[in-house]
Amino acid sequence: MSGQWMLPAFDLHALLVAPWTEQRETFGWVGVMGFCVAASCGLLGNYLLLRRMALMGDAVSHSVLPGLVIAFLVSGGRDTGAMFLGALASGLGATLIIDFLQARTPLKQDAAIGIVFSALFAIGVLLTVVFAGQIDLDPDCVLNGELLFVALEPPVHWGAWTLAPPAVLRMAGVLALVVGVIAIGYRILLVSSFDPGIARAAGVRVGTVRLGLMLLLSLVVVSAFEAVGAVLVVAMLILPGATATLLTDRLPRLHLLAVLHAALSVWWGVGLAVWLDCSLAPAIVVMGAVLFALAWLFAPRGGLIAQGLRRARVLS
Amino acid sequence: MLSVARVASVIRALVLLAALAGVGTPLGAAVALRVVATTPLVADLVREVGGPRVSVRSLMGPGVDPHSYQPTPSDLRALQEADVVAFHGLLLEGRMEGVLQRLRTRRERVFAITADLAPAQLRQVGEGASTVDPHVWFDVRLWRDCVEPVVRALSQADPAGTGVYRARADDLRQRLSGLDAWVREALAVLPPERRVLVTSHDAFGYFGRAYHFEVVGLQGISTVGEAALSAMAELTQFLTRRRVPAIFVESSVSPKAIQRVAADAGIRVGGQLYSDSLGPPGQTAEGLDPSTYEGMVRHNVRTLVAALR
Repeated sequence: MSGQWMLPAFDLHALLVAPWTEQRETFGWVGVMGFCVAASCGLLGNYLLLRRMALMGDAVSHSVLPGLVIAFLVSGGRDTGAMFLGALASGLGATLIIDFLQARTPLKQDAAIGIVFSALFAIGVLLTVVFAGQIDLDPDCVLNGELLFVALEPPVHWGAWTLAPPAVLRMAGVLALVVGVIAIGYRILLVSSFDPGIARAAGVRVGTVRLGLMLLLSLVVVSAFEAVGAVLVVAMLILPGATATLLTDRLPRLHLLAVLHAALSVWWGVGLAVWLDCSLAPAIVVMGAVLFALAWLFAPRGGLIAQGLRRARVLS
Repeated sequence: MLSVARVASVIRALVLLAALAGVGTPLGAAVALRVVATTPLVADLVREVGGPRVSVRSLMGPGVDPHSYQPTPSDLRALQEADVVAFHGLLLEGRMEGVLQRLRTRRERVFAITADLAPAQLRQVGEGASTVDPHVWFDVRLWRDCVEPVVRALSQADPAGTGVYRARADDLRQRLSGLDAWVREALAVLPPERRVLVTSHDAFGYFGRAYHFEVVGLQGISTVGEAALSAMAELTQFLTRRRVPAIFVESSVSPKAIQRVAADAGIRVGGQLYSDSLGPPGQTAEGLDPSTYEGMVRHNVRTLVAALR
């Protein structure tokens, strides 16, 4: 039977080791890029989960389309800086509108998110249709990123040193910023995420912290979707934190586990993509979901197997 | 109910398709150059010029819409290992063209087959700067002008083969001139009022300009946007008013909208035209092989004549 399936041969060495050794030229920067994206998203995602704002990432990623179109029209071309600023502005704008709706109307956050991101995405689609003659910008190019193309970019040189391709440098910078913000603002983030009431009483400006977090989220999402697209970036924001939450409830360990999740899903994701010869970003997300399922099964305390054992012990 | 067997057969079909799409020419002993081409059309042109001296791999399989192509790890490796990379240009490949342009700085032999076309030969659509219609291959004479960049790139990468490439290119240009004459002759049976070509998206602008057809597309140049309802209604009115006998679906675009318009206007779908891609290899029909440029052109013209006369 197995021959009839015509699945490619499964060779662990070729899938998990070779991409990082013999084929390093092909997959090296792709892996680093994937890790920077997944780790930035995962670290930030922890705080989104703690604050029950998991879908905020979805909102930001779908809201960038109108910003991209307007930036394209204003700058008269595909200027990367202008596009980036446009996307950032409309992502941030979306979070502000959501907060406003939540505070000033009887709507809860889920409804506010649903209204804002779909409306902004729809505006973006309309703009691309109306200005179709002047812009070469499909809604598709926002929805699908392309991680593999990183490997084809020539690396930046700095003096005698050969650095990484520009996209990788940018994303590494974003990751460094996320790590830096968390390291410096750790206590404030901790207390305002777990208990806003206490934070406010202790003099923390909860609103400012939230705004800063949304700014960082917009930055991460906009930088990431060049690589993975607006849909899959949401999975990368939520899966590492969600997996870590199953295994621990202490914030420092949540961070470590989220980064570990990011690294493992990229490693296995590249293996899966090589095996099936398919697109990379979805393969990474699938492996991230597999890791989540494994954690759910095997978590020492709340996992399915641990629960079953405990129930069996109680019954006997 | 989805049975395991059915799922298995679907997966098998998908895997088989994927395997077929990836087939390149096997490496023979005499092969001097490994070329990666983006689309089947570009691959066909390079094969015609290179003959047995080159092995060509097309990144996009038959029927793949170049606007929505996603690369795989093996595509990436092929691109990195290729001696020459040929792409179409004029933004047909969308964002990928930017990537290929940057690749050019690292590897010199990356070229666009449309590099020699003068601005006056190209169709402007809309007003902006980046709004050239990329579908030049439907004007056989323009396609003939795409031969020279191929010869240059191949000769540069493999100077020993220059003579072979020149000779094959001259032969190819002659055959393309013959093909152009054949198209004009075949279409001569259609009176001017019957020369209306209605398809899914505006891929046939060059065809219309070269062979005197009025071309109406349901969608814009890009294949991505859904056909707007108003466009469908307008098109239905147009068809009824002009008494157009048939409209056509395209191989790389979903046929639904066109089928719907045909039903609304009470006319028939005249057949499938190849637009952004070629046909799958090995499916020769009525002596034509639509997996080659020439076969594709002849197929399209025969389909048009049969439906519109």
